[in-house]
Amino acid sequence: MYGAVKVDEEKCNGCKLCVFSCPDPNVLTLLKTKKITVNQDRCKACGLCASVCPKEALTVN
Amino acid sequence: MSKDFLRISPAFEDVMPAEYRELVASGPYGKGYGISDLGSHKELLEEHPLCAGCGLALSLRLTLSVLPAPEDTVIVGSTGCSALAFPQVALHNIHSLFGNQNAVASGLKRALKLRFPDKHKDVVVVAGDGATADIGLDMVMQSWFRGELITTIMLDNEAYANTGGQESGMSPKGAVLYMAPKGKKFQKVNMPELAREAGCVYVAAVSPANPKRLGKAIKRAILVAREVGPTYVQIFAPCPTNFKFKPQETIKRIKEREKDGTYLMREYISPEAQEYLAAMEGGTKDE
Repeated sequence: MYGAVKVDEEKCNGCKLCVFSCPDPNVLTLLKTKKITVNQDRCKACGLCASVCPKEALTVN
Repeated sequence: MSKDFLRISPAFEDVMPAEYRELVASGPYGKGYGISDLGSHKELLEEHPLCAGCGLALSLRLTLSVLPAPEDTVIVGSTGCSALAFPQVALHNIHSLFGNQNAVASGLKRALKLRFPDKHKDVVVVAGDGATADIGLDMVMQSWFRGELITTIMLDNEAYANTGGQESGMSPKGAVLYMAPKGKKFQKVNMPELAREAGCVYVAAVSPANPKRLGKAIKRAILVAREVGPTYVQIFAPCPTNFKFKPQETIKRIKEREKDGTYLMREYISPEAQEYLAAMEGGTKDE
């Protein structure tokens, strides 16, 4: 894919709202540190996760 | 299928695909995971070729994550966008002829009942709105009339999306699509009411904008279908490709449609199902 979403780890509070809104499986996962990580190879950059993030920690490039 | 079948023989562990090993190590089999456990385990759906921002893919992913017993579930699919994702799902699934899904599921459920009389085998039909409300409507309705113990889940994207955007019975009135340039002339089919009248004991219309509610509805529908009667869940899954909106607006669009009353989210539980659910959920009902 040409684009992917990026996580700003300082803003992320691990609420998992992005995980519940991502149409692709196994892309967004919660680390043990309660931060979200992105599998950039599989991300389709639709931006749904960024649209629901209350902390604006996700950006699509 | 039992969980033992999934285990890999130690001698072959290094030659198995990485995805399979992950599924055995951290998959959802036998764990009873729900929506809130998403993101911390390997999902049943590996990946899919559906469009970016697809509401149907999101609904399918959430649906698969709340199955009460994934190792004892058989999914019957039908032609449509959802069928493109099923080859990558780590569950038993059958692809039926277009519109035949409920007839196939009826036979399958009866056969499984004979083969495993002391076990609950969940047969879940997951099909699009074309297969459920248009082409397969007679099979769907007849299975409800007969009171088959199956769950029917409709992923309602309001169009025939993977053939270029023809109008379906579930498209809203006036919808303009690529292959319906004049706009649809008649109303959206009221499937939840039809299901209720046709004998479904549990009917729900939900959307992925509220994942907790969606998860609860699917779980209830599958549990009720084990003993009480047929159940029906309709999931609103807008299509960004055919309804021409940006992929990041899928959830916003669901909320707008809910707000202006053109897509009603509702739940109907018959008295028998209510009784069964109350016993299952330990009397902690929040309706």
